[in-house]
Amino acid sequence: MSDGADDLELVYDLGARAVSFDLHEELYAKEAVYGAAYLFVDRAYVFLTRPSDGHVRVRLRSRGAATEDQLVALAGEFANELLNQMVRRQVSEATSQIREYTLARAFFGNDGRASIDALLAELDAEDLDDDPLEIEVPWERSGQGSVGG
Amino acid sequence: MSQRSITLRRPQVASDELAWFRFGRIGQRVVITNDVGDWELLDEPEFEDLLGGRIDEEHPRHAVLQAKGFIRNDLDVAGLASRLRRKKRFLGQGPHLGIIITTLRCNQNCRYCHASRTEMDRVDTDMSLETAKKVVDHIMQTPSPYLNIEFQGGEPTVAFESLKFIVEYSREKNRYENKRLEHSLVTNMTTMTEEMAEWLVRNNVMVCTSLDGPAEVHNYNRTWQKGSNAYDSVIHWIEWFNNRYIELGRDPRLWHVDALMTTTRKTIDHWKEVIDLYVSLGIKNIHLRPLNPFGFAMSTWKRIGYSPEEYLEFYTNCLEYILELNRQGVEISEGTASVFLMKMLTPDDPNFVDIRSPVGSGTGQLAYMYDGSIHASDEARMIAAMGDDLFDLGHVDNTTFDEAVNHPTVKAIAVASILDSLPMCADCWNAPFCGVRPLHNYMLQKDLFAQRARTPKCAEHMGIARFLLSKLDGDEDGSVERIFRRWTISRPRDPEEGLDAAPPVRDPSSVESGGPTSGHSRLPVLE
Repeated sequence: MSDGADDLELVYDLGARAVSFDLHEELYAKEAVYGAAYLFVDRAYVFLTRPSDGHVRVRLRSRGAATEDQLVALAGEFANELLNQMVRRQVSEATSQIREYTLARAFFGNDGRASIDALLAELDAEDLDDDPLEIEVPWERSGQGSVGG
Repeated sequence: MSQRSITLRRPQVASDELAWFRFGRIGQRVVITNDVGDWELLDEPEFEDLLGGRIDEEHPRHAVLQAKGFIRNDLDVAGLASRLRRKKRFLGQGPHLGIIITTLRCNQNCRYCHASRTEMDRVDTDMSLETAKKVVDHIMQTPSPYLNIEFQGGEPTVAFESLKFIVEYSREKNRYENKRLEHSLVTNMTTMTEEMAEWLVRNNVMVCTSLDGPAEVHNYNRTWQKGSNAYDSVIHWIEWFNNRYIELGRDPRLWHVDALMTTTRKTIDHWKEVIDLYVSLGIKNIHLRPLNPFGFAMSTWKRIGYSPEEYLEFYTNCLEYILELNRQGVEISEGTASVFLMKMLTPDDPNFVDIRSPVGSGTGQLAYMYDGSIHASDEARMIAAMGDDLFDLGHVDNTTFDEAVNHPTVKAIAVASILDSLPMCADCWNAPFCGVRPLHNYMLQKDLFAQRARTPKCAEHMGIARFLLSKLDGDEDGSVERIFRRWTISRPRDPEEGLDAAPPVRDPSSVESGGPTSGHSRLPVLE
């Protein structure tokens, strides 16, 4: 497709009060499956089993009586949420380093000061632009450094 | 059993183009949020453009998405880190709210009483002055530069001597501590006298009362002695205090009685009258609150309770009406909405202990029972009053401040309420604005973490956040945002306005020293 999207065919079983999905981990990461299933604990009893290596079975059993249309809607909602979880996982994996770096800088960086201190530091830094003491001039070039001891 | 299939259209994700964000859906729109509380609502094609890396400089959404840090190109990591630090500056400041239960005695018998009050003859549930002094010495060790000592009960005015002592002694002690120290009283007003009221006004103790609605609702919820009218009493004293502040030349925007309402099934049918009553009394803020699963409310739930969906319908009816009143020029805001809006529209977090990550129990507040026992929060002491000591942190006689705030129970509560580490919450678009309540979870599911999709707080907070963002999304002329921004303005009071230079300390024989509290480090004042 022109926008790079691709289609996945998701097959499920429709039972008397439940819908079941057999999901291959190569297509649907386990964390995405768990994340999607967890969101349904208010509406359904959630059963996770492993029918074979590399497969996770998700069975959503309605908490009360349910019509076929309601079960089909439940399956559709689960499919949508599974897709959301897969996208979330991709975004998270692609951006985790940026996020971790941001969090580290926010909470563990040397810059953890009050905003007024930060402002004063900023003003001090501006004074350095004049650099009368030539602090920004590399050590070696200033003639004060001793190369090779 | 039959087999069906669904075709899923998996969008392209351009890994190299994205910055970190959460997403979800509100109606037909996709909401994206990030750690600093920036948010944007997109159409589905726009969201797919974002995921697919197709937001170039020509794209109509480029400027806003770039400025808010949703695109990797030219991402200002230092700026984001700085804003995140500001947003989370409450971390590490320590408790700023010290709740002191000066007595459990109360003359009312409210149907939902969360505090498990005792009868008026139970003077053994009054706090002694000796214990009161130890409590003040304990809470004032908090490293927080701001401290609000809040009196709760029972009905605190029936142990007025303890209350007066705590105010005077803490103020005296603060001459050395130099905190921004405030006092507030949560009272049902039914035992208030003019002498007490005058003392409270003169000593800048902010007064907060319960007003559940018109007489029919208030008197039903808050049963008093036979032949008495709790409603008349509370209305009388609200007007008395508000008039007195004006007589003394105080700014009524800063000095007025605050009122809280607790929603029962009876309130749900009278939502409009409740708001009209608050407006008629000149109250500028109404804090709509659902019932909590503590105290007597547990046994009366079947008669006065309701489902989360019913509460949310009530809440949105109220909020629509409050918005309409604002459009007509009436100045009134709603408390919970204001907490969410401050997170959504300003660079700050209001540090509201019940809606933050982690929750404030032990890290933002401590509660002291009349007997000197220390609890992680107001909810914790309510649970203790029900006979469950799981959230007790010790006693002022033998537990230091450091031991209390570093108690394993405080750590467990924090772990159970850091949204970034909780299944479902970690992925939820509402995480920057929301907060979970582990003690609430414990009462409902016997599990600090709980299955969050099944907690009423999740339904409530999602509903409120959805409502607010939907209103902002459809706000063509900016009028809703102007109203909402007004609700986020918090005007600081001068806690020493009108006070005598050196208030006398009562019962000086019980005060060993007014010197500085030892054993704690002080964080820089960030306010």
